[in-house]
Amino acid sequence: MIEAILIFLALAVLFGLLLGYASIRFKVEGNPEAEQIDKILPQTQCGQCGYPGCKPYAEAVANREADINQCIPGGNEVMIKISEITGLEPKAMDEAAAEPKEKEVAFINEDLCIGCVLCIKECPVDAILGATKMMHTVIEKECTGCELCVPVCPVDCIDMIPPKVTPNDWKWPEPNFLNEDDR
Amino acid sequence: MNFFMLVVKQLSKIYPSAKRWAYRFHGGVFPRYNKSLSASQPIRPQLIPEKLILPLQQQVGLPACPIVQVGDKVKKNQLLAKPSKDPQKALSVPIHAPTSGTIIAIEEATLAHPSGLEGVCIILQPDGANQAIENALEVDGSLPKTPVELKSVLLKSGIVGMGGAGFPTYAKLPNERGRIHTLLINGAECEPFITCDDLLMQTQAEAIIKGALLTAEALGAERIICGIETNKPAAIQAMKKAAASTSVEIKEVATVYPMGGQKQLTLELTGIETPHDSHAVDIGLLMMNVATLTAIYRAVSLGDPLTSRLVTVSGLGLEKPFNMDVMIGTPFNSLAQAAKPKVKLDYPLVMGGPMMGFQVKSNEVPVLKTTNCVLANPPEPVDMQMPCIRCGECMDVCPVNLLPQQMYWYSQAHEFDKVEKLQVFDCIECGCCSYVCPSHIPLVQYYRHAKSEIKAIHAEEKAVELAKQRHEFKLARIEREKQEREARLKAKKEAVKQAAAKTEDSSEKTPAKKAAGAAAAARAAAAKRAMQKGNKPSSGSDKAMPSARLKAIEAAKKAAQNSELEAGSTASMKSSTGDAKSKARQAAQKAAQKRAQKVKAQSEPANKDAKTNLKSESSSPTKEPSAEAISLDLTQTSEATTASKKEAARKAAMQAARAAAKKRKVSSSDHQVSSDKPSGERSDNQTHQQDENSDKRQKAMEAARKRAKQRQAEKNQAADNQENT
Ligand code: SF4
Ligand code: SF4
Ligand code: SF4
Ligand code: SF4
Ligand code: SF4
Repeated sequence: MIEAILIFLALAVLFGLLLGYASIRFKVEGNPEAEQIDKILPQTQCGQCGYPGCKPYAEAVANREADINQCIPGGNEVMIKISEITGLEPKAMDEAAAEPKEKEVAFINEDLCIGCVLCIKECPVDAILGATKMMHTVIEKECTGCELCVPVCPVDCIDMIPPKVTPNDWKWPEPNFLNEDDR
Repeated sequence: MNFFMLVVKQLSKIYPSAKRWAYRFHGGVFPRYNKSLSASQPIRPQLIPEKLILPLQQQVGLPACPIVQVGDKVKKNQLLAKPSKDPQKALSVPIHAPTSGTIIAIEEATLAHPSGLEGVCIILQPDGANQAIENALEVDGSLPKTPVELKSVLLKSGIVGMGGAGFPTYAKLPNERGRIHTLLINGAECEPFITCDDLLMQTQAEAIIKGALLTAEALGAERIICGIETNKPAAIQAMKKAAASTSVEIKEVATVYPMGGQKQLTLELTGIETPHDSHAVDIGLLMMNVATLTAIYRAVSLGDPLTSRLVTVSGLGLEKPFNMDVMIGTPFNSLAQAAKPKVKLDYPLVMGGPMMGFQVKSNEVPVLKTTNCVLANPPEPVDMQMPCIRCGECMDVCPVNLLPQQMYWYSQAHEFDKVEKLQVFDCIECGCCSYVCPSHIPLVQYYRHAKSEIKAIHAEEKAVELAKQRHEFKLARIEREKQEREARLKAKKEAVKQAAAKTEDSSEKTPAKKAAGAAAAARAAAAKRAMQKGNKPSSGSDKAMPSARLKAIEAAKKAAQNSELEAGSTASMKSSTGDAKSKARQAAQKAAQKRAQKVKAQSEPANKDAKTNLKSESSSPTKEPSAEAISLDLTQTSEATTASKKEAARKAAMQAARAAAKKRKVSSSDHQVSSDKPSGERSDNQTHQQDENSDKRQKAMEAARKRAKQRQAEKNQAADNQENT
């Protein structure tokens, strides 16, 4: 009887120490939930959620400081993913943001640009190239379509246009199957 | 073997699947070949069309850059477009003039691509003289000794894989000799209707064999095996004859679709199955189409660039199908018209064979380097698509051993991750599954769609990752610039301080010194705290930063320090540095103005003090950016910025006033200042009580402002946190 108690006591101590050691040795840095949320956010860095970028928003959601339905570009899809990660109830998006819209990129009308560099400062991903009094241009590949540069331009020369489709990124259309209900 | 074949042939009459015993790969189908339509005709003389359309992009990779102008007169074989910058990486190939004539336009035209998109093309109007530049590639007739030598000739000649995908041939070859032990020659040509390779082997067997020998020589390959389907006896004979005294082995392979698939023919000829995630080159095999080898031979020994190719013009809708050595850029329509269509060509032509080809969006599209066939098959009634009955036929015929039915199921349900797990990217789009499906499901189209969707998803993921990194980089850069600016300011102020301390009056020495010492201590503490605070957000993200990015930041820092003069690459960097500065400056000015207004409004009874406040504040605008920058950094959105700016400005003004008063008192009563805890509870009235010596006051003011700034930063952060909650 007493041996049994002693053995189990010893085991308890041993496992306790093991667990304690493991929790220190394999400590997870940072907030894993925030990381997870940050991963699924669109990374447009547009600030429409009220935070200065996707990561701060992810952290705010992870700390339960922000609602899960604030990312406008992500739309419903992202909202649902966040709710899956956090285990929070899905919340309806604002009606305008429910459907994510087609991706657009900024395009600077280079004849109008006066080279005021205002747009460069605004761009969260440094996708605009240019220097003072020089024509500016957008690196299409790197533009996230956040539209932050559009309102700051004093001569309104930035337009949001859908990116041009080339044979390299053209998508095969889906065959229009007639028996849609059969699946 | 032959006896076995005979048995199989007989047996297949009662048991059709017996045909599959004659070859090594799984599946495959036996369509009606219709090859005699064009194979029985002799090769027609070259047709010179009214205009040639030469797309700048004819293959995977980047388009070429035109080096001719509209109106230029060019000769045959002249270089029209050179590969863009780094051809080794960019997979770009040059384009040469197929005949002599005039460049009449460089404009957008519909491409021979399933999308029907437009691309920039050089339009050449032939003059009919066909004047050629001999030896345009300036070869000296000697055979290349190393793969690199061969590759440079191939690059100059613009040769791409002419069997299908059009991968630039130079990019396919390894750089080191001996990496390839076996060169495989693809003469299978398994698609129905197409006979151009068949006729090429019949008429130019010598060139093919020579091309293969010189390629193998340069690469250091030991074996050369050529696979030809049994349904081309004339070609087999011609090739055997040409290869008689060489090391080239000619192998007959069973006639089955898709025998000409790279992995299928490799398995058939060598017994080696190419692993799904590696290329044939990785396992020491290289396969080349007979047409490619002919082009290589012509380029290396004659210096001719690739400007024409053998094309089959065939189809059930044509009276006189034929094969022809067609100039690249010849419009499909002129070829089809030359074959006497049975009815008017109001249906789309097909580029490639009936199994893998696609309908072009306009019949005016040009022949590309990869076009092996122009097919005119009148449209047939489309069979109605029925639900999948899970018969498993598609699975039985798939040469890659995939599960077509499963892939179809998930594709139509848009569960693309599952489609990808089923290895849809190993699908060679051969069309066997669609061909046998009793429910007439266009399976291949589903896979093509799924493939492009999956590619788009991956591209999106990459873009997102890039955006994240760039954003974090930008934040880090702003942070770094801020710290650098602070350090600079601190140093400058220290210098000013010392200079001022030296010129102090002796009577005021003691209190002034003490004040100065206190001020310095306060400043140091404030700076330290500011640094810590500044570090906080970045150190948090530092940990999360991938080390690669850290390295990049490090490198960028160095670059910024060392090579400010390197205008080209660091231009954007510099400009944005300037931006951040001017932004901070602007913000500071704005804040100062606001503060001034606030102070005026608040301290009507003490106008004088307000004025000094204002004066001292505006006299040192350079000090403000750091504090202001903190608020700017932390509150990126413009709304938040304005709000907190207002608040901060008000607070700062009040605190500055308070602190100044306290400082004054302290310095006059000769007490030690507890540098970082000025009591905020003092009433405003107290601040406007005394007149002092202006010298002393200014020093005190400075110290106070420093503290105020620091406190303001604290407040800002607090305010931000509040806002965040
Ligand atoms: S709204 Fe969405 S995309 Fe925009 S910054 Fe916030 S989380 Fe990022
Ligand atoms: S270019 Fe404009 S739209 Fe594009 S990422 Fe930068 S700020 Fe946003
Ligand atoms: S904000 Fe407008 S005008 Fe100014 S640099 Fe950008 S594009 Fe040019
Ligand atoms: S062949 Fe067609 S019907 Fe049969 S299992 Fe495949 S997809 Fe379904
Ligand atoms: S198209 Fe793809 S899935 Fe269908 S048989 Fe060919 S390789 Fe298999």
